Parts: sequence; C-alpha cells; structure tokens
Amino acid sequence: MRPEPSAMRSTPTASLPLRLAGLALLTAFVQVGVVSEVPIFGVNADLSPLLVAFVGLLCGSTIGAAYGFAIGLLIDLLLLQTLGLSSLIFTLIGYWSGRLRELRDPQAALTPLLLGAGAAAASLIGYSLMEFMLGVDAPVSFELLRQIVLGVLVDAVVALPLWALVRVCLESALPEDPRRRRRRRRAYTTGGLSPLSRS
Amino acid sequence: MYDKTVRRRRALLVLLVVLSLLLLTAYFGEAPGGRLHGVQRAFLTVVSPIQNGANKALKPVRDTIGWFGDTFHAKSQRDSLRRQNSALRRQLVADQAEKRSLRELQGLYRVDQLGVGNYHPVTATVVGKSPNIWYATVTIDAGSSSGIRVDDPVVNGEGLVGKVAQVASDGAQVDLITDSSMGVSARLAHNGSTGIVQPKVGDPGALLLQYLPSTTQPNTGEYVVTSGTVASPDDSLYPPGLLIGQATSVNEETGFKSVNVRPVANLQNLDLVQVLTSASGSRASTLASLAASLPAGQSPPGGEASGEQYASSGSGG
Repeated sequence: MRPEPSAMRSTPTASLPLRLAGLALLTAFVQVGVVSEVPIFGVNADLSPLLVAFVGLLCGSTIGAAYGFAIGLLIDLLLLQTLGLSSLIFTLIGYWSGRLRELRDPQAALTPLLLGAGAAAASLIGYSLMEFMLGVDAPVSFELLRQIVLGVLVDAVVALPLWALVRVCLESALPEDPRRRRRRRRAYTTGGLSPLSRS
Repeated sequence: MYDKTVRRRRALLVLLVVLSLLLLTAYFGEAPGGRLHGVQRAFLTVVSPIQNGANKALKPVRDTIGWFGDTFHAKSQRDSLRRQNSALRRQLVADQAEKRSLRELQGLYRVDQLGVGNYHPVTATVVGKSPNIWYATVTIDAGSSSGIRVDDPVVNGEGLVGKVAQVASDGAQVDLITDSSMGVSARLAHNGSTGIVQPKVGDPGALLLQYLPSTTQPNTGEYVVTSGTVASPDDSLYPPGLLIGQATSVNEETGFKSVNVRPVANLQNLDLVQVLTSASGSRASTLASLAASLPAGQSPPGGEASGEQYASSGSGG
C-alpha cells in the first residue's frame, strides 16, 4: 500500500514519535559530548530549549508541551540535576512555541532565530528564577546578566542549523496545515506565480 | 469540538506543570539516598556505557573544534608560560633548600601528614557536562565498581577539580569547585593563612578565599592550596597541598580579608580526571571518618588539637 502523501494527511504519521525520540537522544548526546565541552565566549550553547521550541513550532502546543516535559526529564536524569526543574521550564517553552504557531503561524525566515533566542532567554531566566526560589545564594550580578545575554546570543547562532535539522527530520511525518495550503492557494490566485505557470 | 480540543490542551499543560512541581518538591525534600535520587543513579548506570561510547565517537569532532581555539590562544599562552617558567625556576631553587629543612624537621618531630600518597588514584574520563550555568557538575565514567565513594576528592594534572557527589556502579557525578554547594578549607601557599574557598557569588567560574585573618597580607599571584583540614563535619577531607588556584585580588572587609581566586584547573575543558579513592581501613579513610564524626572545633579525646587540626596532622610514626 502506498503511503499517504503529506498534502492529503490530516494526522501525523506513526513514525513521528520515533523521529521525536531519535532527535531527543541525538541532541542529548551531542549536547553532552560536544557542545557542552566547547565554550564560546565563556558560555556553552544549550540545544535542548531550542529543540523543544522548534518541535512546538512544527507540531503544535500539545505535542510541544509533552515533548518539553520528556526532554526536561531526560536532561535532569542524564546530568543528575534537580528532577522536575528542566521539565517545568521546557513544558512551558514547548507549549508557548506551539501556541505561537497556532495563533500567529509566523512565516518569516528569521522566525527560528528569534524563537531560538526567546526560548534560550526563557530557559536561562527560568532556571535563574527557580534557583533563586530554591535558595541558591546568588545575587543578580552583572556577571550573571552577562552570562545570560551571551547564552542567548550563542543559542541564537546555533538556532538556524538546528531548525533546518529538526524540519528535515519531522516535516515529512507531519500533517499538512490547512492554513498554509489556503495561504499558498491565495498567493497563486492574487498575483503569485503558481509552480505550473513558472514551468 | 473546538472547546473540547482547547480543554484537552489546557488540561495537559496543567497536568504536566503539576507533575513537574511534584517531582521538584519530592526531589528537593528527600535525602541524597532517597528514591528519586536512586532512580537517577540507576538511569546513570544504564546510560553510562552509551554515553561513554558516544563520547568516544564524538571526540574527533570535539578535538577539531578545540584545535581552532587552541591555535588562536597559543601565542599568548606561550609568552605567558615562558615568563611563568623563569619565575618558577627561581622559586624551585629556593624551595629545594626549604624542602630539605622541612624533611629534617619532620623527622625530628615525627609528623606524618596525610598526603596524596595515602590515596589510590582512579583515572576516569569526563563523559558529560551540564550546559547550564547553575550546575557546575560533570559526569565521569567510573563509579563504585572502581572503588569510588561519595566525597572522594577529584583532581587533574593542573589541580583540584572537585569532589564526588553521587555514585552509580559505572559512573559518578562530580561537583566542581565552582559549584554553589562546595566549600574547601584552604591556605595561601606562601603566607600560610587559612580560610575557606567557595564559589564567588554572582560570578560563575570564579572563587573566593574567605575568612582570612585581618592581619594577613596576601599577595596577588600567590597560589592557594588545600589545607588538609575540614571546617565542618559535612566537608570533605582533601589531602593538604593540592593546588586550587591563584590569587587575583584582595578584598578588605570588616573583621577579615578575602581573596579572589582564579582556579588553575581548566574546568571548562575537562577530559581526564583522577579520583583520589581510599580503601576502607586505610589512613586516609580513617582520618576522613574521624573528621566527619567530630563537631568542628571540638578537641579529640586526650588531644590538644581541634577536630580541624586533627584531620590534617594526626600523630604518626
């Protein structure tokens, strides 16, 4: 039986959970094995909030939130960090990235970069707030702010290649979004060139 | 239909947030030997071999990226090391004479200090590091099966790196000296004044040697080493003389002085470390247990030294 073309599918394919799990493991091991070992301007890029945000942007708020929770749990278990802390922060990042897609559906080329920077900022500020609440003795110092700003910039730099990877891995397993289909059709009928007329 | 979808979406969000908060509360409230910590250790045991394999497979990538960074800094490092080398050569000549005198005095007074020689170093590879600025921890590929126990000191070729915080059978978590939970009894190498080295609040990666007597005259550039004592029963007993860092500046405070310290070990790029293990019943293990059992400042029975002093220089011979 031939697989259903993505343009006609209304639900994700069965391979989506496998692809998401594969991406999570790949990102976790690359993060721990390479990215965490290579400081850029004294800070390390953090791929996990970016991955969660991009999955939310592609798959929606429900999958984004669940994926954020799972990735957070994996990271906390793998690095023996305070259990539940990353899950809480990544659940919210995944949910709001998904809501961004559902409410605004941004199409600009810089969207992944801005979303990556936003997710990194949310993660770094979220961790800082939670650590303050859990009683870590650290004031809001210039050094801490510098680390947060540099962390956001470094994550924004790695956001575009990671977005390309996530999209390549997931797009063929996702259902076609009716809004995008409508938008394409509208572009053809209001002056945009259809692929047929171009050929 | 739409309302149902919205309700389901919101219910899932609330469920996941509540679940996270429950996990967080339970984990934060339980002892290090608790059930959730046990789950983490079991998970580490399972993924350690995979993590180790992935780490080895990704090493060429890491080395290639590191090569560019090293090349970029090589020239300035070479000049700085040449200057340091000539200064150290002069110091070595002076220290050799002092060392000879010290050996003679130790022979006279029969002092047997706890040293690195009393430990069994276990070499381990760093297979994981937290990218988060709030966690100064690394994961290593050796654990209780290699004789590693909680609180064992961890060093590398440059100096003190940290101590073991959690142990699984084939892996362990190491708290770096820059972690907010750390505190190491230390002294200025030349000056001899003792204090406690702790992470500098608000400056991840920097250390602060605190509680130095106000009469101390610390010098910038002076080395800070472990004192071989414990300041409280919760501290780990590090062998004396392990290099921690170099003083960068001095802070004058009311009642005491503190010194900003730059760690000598490159904690951003750890590859191989050594865990200083001690067999049960060995001198190092006995002294560590004794130091942990004595309230800080209490004299051991029949002795004049405080618990802190006793840990470093128990009567030998």
